[in-house]
Amino acid sequence: MHLRIMLQEGVQKFAQYINDLKINPSLQRPDLNSEPSSEKFSTEIPVDETKVFNSKIELAEYLHACFTSKSLKREDVLPLNGIWTWLAYIWFDQFAPSRAGTREIKEDAKYLCSSDYRDYYRHFVAGPYSIYSLHGHDNSRIFLYSSVNQHNDFIEQFASRQFIISHRNIVEAISRLYFDYQKGQPKTGAQSRTRPGNIRRFVSVIQQFELTYDIYTMDPARILELLPDEFNHWK
Amino acid sequence: MKRKLNYTGRMKIERKNISINFISESGGVVAFTVTKLDLTGLNLPPEAKVYVEAYYRTELRRFDFGTAGSITNPSPCDLRGMAYPENLKFRILVVAPSDGKLLAQGDRISLKKSGERKSILPVEFSDLGNEIWLVKYEGDADSPILIINSRIPGIQNIACRDAQFLTYVYPAVIREILAHMVFVDGVDSITEPSVDWHGDWLRFVRLLGVEIPEILNKDGDNFDKQKALKWIEDSVLAFCSTHSHRFQEYIRRQEETSLCT
Repeated sequence: MHLRIMLQEGVQKFAQYINDLKINPSLQRPDLNSEPSSEKFSTEIPVDETKVFNSKIELAEYLHACFTSKSLKREDVLPLNGIWTWLAYIWFDQFAPSRAGTREIKEDAKYLCSSDYRDYYRHFVAGPYSIYSLHGHDNSRIFLYSSVNQHNDFIEQFASRQFIISHRNIVEAISRLYFDYQKGQPKTGAQSRTRPGNIRRFVSVIQQFELTYDIYTMDPARILELLPDEFNHWK
Repeated sequence: MKRKLNYTGRMKIERKNISINFISESGGVVAFTVTKLDLTGLNLPPEAKVYVEAYYRTELRRFDFGTAGSITNPSPCDLRGMAYPENLKFRILVVAPSDGKLLAQGDRISLKKSGERKSILPVEFSDLGNEIWLVKYEGDADSPILIINSRIPGIQNIACRDAQFLTYVYPAVIREILAHMVFVDGVDSITEPSVDWHGDWLRFVRLLGVEIPEILNKDGDNFDKQKALKWIEDSVLAFCSTHSHRFQEYIRRQEETSLCT
């Protein structure tokens, strides 16, 4: 199958299907792979509908490879909400898995890609790709280590904040601080609400820095150096 | 940490001192120009570095505008390669070269299209379970957004036009937001608040003809809680009076309904 763009009619049918699934979890996914529900993308990009992803980073890597193989850059595809909604549609069973006869349905913004700047990171496909295509493999792992249908706290706390997610040096500092590269997962306790130097505290401190320093010109080591003592444990 | 706190004496670059325009080609934004960047009156050291940043979502691009004493305008500033050029916001920074501290900043500058009006209360529709509405402070600079329960059939129409809904919901929303401004955030100045949305709401209340107490900062020395509460109530009352036709419509409908039964 080749990449398609979900059109307004397809978005409405997909939204209806998601809503109906809450009442009837065994409902069959409607066929939205033809006009007027969706249309072919201008470039032919093969997409494997049956591919199973073990993590968000696998998903992002796969898409990144698909787009770069056709010389498409992030700015060519990110603004096209219909692409992301269609990708969420074809891999929907991974994003809303069946468990004991019920469907694990999340909020609409996870499946239907919105133009709202507050929602972009919530989308199960656009969010991971957006982060991966900007920060690359190593610095994306902290956000994208979890399964494709799990919205982890690193995304919620960091990716939701434009100032943080758009600064490569802050993102690298976050990765150095909280990600255990040997284990391939975040350091234990980083997401705790009570441990000193936890990720919520990092957000508070960096918001203070934002109003005090020109963070843009600082390298990650300098950012880590500026953090108060409560963060020493994580360094 | 509340964003409005300013421990370092960082100065605010007023919106009126900045003018930015987009340049479009083939219907798409490709660059911007800065036609006005007036830093006079801020008493900045001439060697302080000046930057303009364009940003949206994960995107950020910085442009070097020289120093406060010698602004070098690199316009037109190329935006090609940015994913959402039409939606970009801008930030102006003045930075001390010695220690990288921010000396002055103007942030969240958006370019309004001609004729576009700014809403002080964006409305969103979302599944709120059994709740009808709530206010979230998740807009720009934690500004309020009214969330209405999308599970209510025909709610988008009801929220715009239904007299009963408007009469029940909006006075309570206004009360909630003004109380949040005063008792959660604290308004640091009633003439030039550092939080933009506080300024928008103060202007809204002034337009309703309600006098604003001098101190609306809950931590201020002369803060008068009773005066602040009365101001909130007066504002809600003034809003209801301004929209009394909605109330009359609601009463009329109620009377018609009771006659039918």
